Amino acid sequence: MKHTFKKGGIHPGSFKTASPDIELLPLPMTATVLLSQHIGRPANPTVQKGDKVCRGMVIAENSAYISASVHAPISGTVASIDDVVLPNGKNGRAIIIKAAPEEHEADTAARNSYWSDTIPAVLSRDLSESLTADEIRTRIERAGIVGLGGATFPSHVKIDLKPTQKVDTLIINGCECEPYLRCDDAIMRSCPGYIAEGIELIMKAASISRAVVAVEDNKPQAIEAMRGALDSMHNISVMSLKTKYPQGGEKQLIEAVTDRRVASGALPVSTGVIVQNVATAFAVWQAVATGQPLIERVVTITGDIPAEQRRNYIAAIGTPLSDFPFSLPDEARAIVGGPMMGKTAVCLDAPITKGTSGLTVLSGKGRRPVQPCIRCGACSDVCPMGLDPYLLATYGRLRMFDEAAKADVADCIECGSCSWSCPSSRPILDFIRVAKQRSRK
Amino acid sequence: MTQIIFSPSPHIHTARTTGGIMRHVLVALAPAVICALWFFGIDALWVLVTSVISCIATEWLITRFMLRRAASLSDCSAILTGVLLALTLPSSLPLWMVAAGGIIAIGIAKMAFGGLGCNIFNPALVGRVFLLISFPVAMTTWPLPIGRFATADGTTGATILSQLKTGIANSCALDLPAMFAGDMGGSIGEVSTGALLLGFVYLLVLKIIKWHIPVSIVAGLVLVDLMAGFPPLPDILSGGLLLGAVFMATDYVTSPMTNRGMLLYGLMIGIITAVIRRWGSYPEGISFAILIMNGATPLINRYMHNTRFSGRRKEATA
Repeated sequence: MKHTFKKGGIHPGSFKTASPDIELLPLPMTATVLLSQHIGRPANPTVQKGDKVCRGMVIAENSAYISASVHAPISGTVASIDDVVLPNGKNGRAIIIKAAPEEHEADTAARNSYWSDTIPAVLSRDLSESLTADEIRTRIERAGIVGLGGATFPSHVKIDLKPTQKVDTLIINGCECEPYLRCDDAIMRSCPGYIAEGIELIMKAASISRAVVAVEDNKPQAIEAMRGALDSMHNISVMSLKTKYPQGGEKQLIEAVTDRRVASGALPVSTGVIVQNVATAFAVWQAVATGQPLIERVVTITGDIPAEQRRNYIAAIGTPLSDFPFSLPDEARAIVGGPMMGKTAVCLDAPITKGTSGLTVLSGKGRRPVQPCIRCGACSDVCPMGLDPYLLATYGRLRMFDEAAKADVADCIECGSCSWSCPSSRPILDFIRVAKQRSRK
Repeated sequence: MTQIIFSPSPHIHTARTTGGIMRHVLVALAPAVICALWFFGIDALWVLVTSVISCIATEWLITRFMLRRAASLSDCSAILTGVLLALTLPSSLPLWMVAAGGIIAIGIAKMAFGGLGCNIFNPALVGRVFLLISFPVAMTTWPLPIGRFATADGTTGATILSQLKTGIANSCALDLPAMFAGDMGGSIGEVSTGALLLGFVYLLVLKIIKWHIPVSIVAGLVLVDLMAGFPPLPDILSGGLLLGAVFMATDYVTSPMTNRGMLLYGLMIGIITAVIRRWGSYPEGISFAILIMNGATPLINRYMHNTRFSGRRKEATA
């Protein structure tokens, strides 16, 4: 029998209709690089207005233990360091780089040769033996790598284990349980060998003896590709999981793969497991093997747009969403990320960040009229954390935040399964978010 | 000009709606309704039509003129209440009584509590119990099945449950296959076990209801029967047990939210039903048992929360 997590979960359909190929999106003439693209303290700028920067250079360095440095995605001149509008309408501080035409041309040539010549040439199997754990970790830190699945936790911090933390398993998350998105699928199909090396590097850096690549069974080609690349590596296996949302959630994935459960309020590492995304493993390999820091990533453009526009791109961090070739329907939601947990963009001039896995365009308003709760219990049945969503939503609506805290609202992972499953279209998660934020002490 | 809409996640939703669920339950009731028309003829049809019209009209008048809101009939819940109420009545009941039952079911048990989702007690059962207490003779006069959609010939008789209670029938001498098919006296929708089980399977397959409540009700009943030395099978096949277990006790609004809560709720309904049947003054007890446990549902919900991810069971919160 195939493994999956036990409690709750939904089957929202896959909608993975984007082409599984990856192509290069032209570099932008202006890049807007946010200082806070990760969980933790924003990075400190190391450049000033008017400075010349070149592609790949550090422009802001990590400012605390939990922080990550940021690099210039294009060569050019720092036009300003200022607050910009984020996709969600809030403001965030960013370094804005403008490229001159000749700089743009040189960057484009260098980038093309990197992807067509450098990458295929440098695959070698002994990197993890020639480098020490500290050297690998330092290179990951210097490359500004964060979790690319969306949580954006700085990777060098995640693998910096204290002597008391015993970790025996590295899970490489290739579930991509969000409907529509296809960037992880694409990267596993195109670059399994590099991912395999990235996994070995992470294992060496954190001295973990066993790794499992977890992929949902709706991506058979990705599973085949990864199995082929990992054929000779006996300590790394590929596990095909029964497709169910939210399998890619860290706690759900750890349970699905190892049958261990993270206690309420505890860190996932307490179960002896570290989870990293497949795209993160690829970025680690890129950083260590080719020296390129995290200045571009794979982004899926998908949803209710013409089929030929649904594709995966390698795009520079800081590229505005409006640079991607797609046409919006008349009434649309432009969702940064997938349809279950992504956030709608209010402004398409906003840039992509390290955590942007895709843009899902959905037509229509998306919400039906709210009807009374008929107490069917669907929300409780599907809650992967075993909470009582109907009750938490009521607490949120009635501003009973202490009661919500006692009913474990802090355990909510905001996966949206409750709102998805509600036959009365009640905004359950909206009210739970209110309760979660207001009950946080 | 493209309009960009801002809204919080999730951005996609299940295709299942409240109205859709009600319609599925109506489809699941279709076999029982067809059997009712076969056994009790045109009289059953008039009871059914009267009950549904009474429920719809009451809901529409109250939402329109007392609450001054847009009518809420599109969710089909008033139709469902009307059908369920009719299925618990004898086909010979005067139609004005049927209409009164519908008014009580929707007006008192549902709308007075705040409408869909807010009622504590199952509206159809409140309507039925109101009629049973107000008009005990009319409500316990059971026409015998005549078959083939014919018009009534006026023959009436006691139900098997009341025959058993008064000692007229011997539980060992019953024609169980005929009881399974529904060829016996009783209320319109309760007689055919086969038709009700067909509806049960339909609801299970479409995941409208779970097995927990119906199965635990039967288990509770069998438990008491075995302890009382009474053969359980005729007890399951007779009276409104299956109609109540599959279609009444599983009403979302008035039953517990969690599986554990459902098992306790169902078990208690089964036990109370058997106790009323064996030792109470009424021959049938499923309606009372469900209403009693409807009243206990908020308490069950308070003490039986979902089991948390980490395996910990949540205790009651204040």
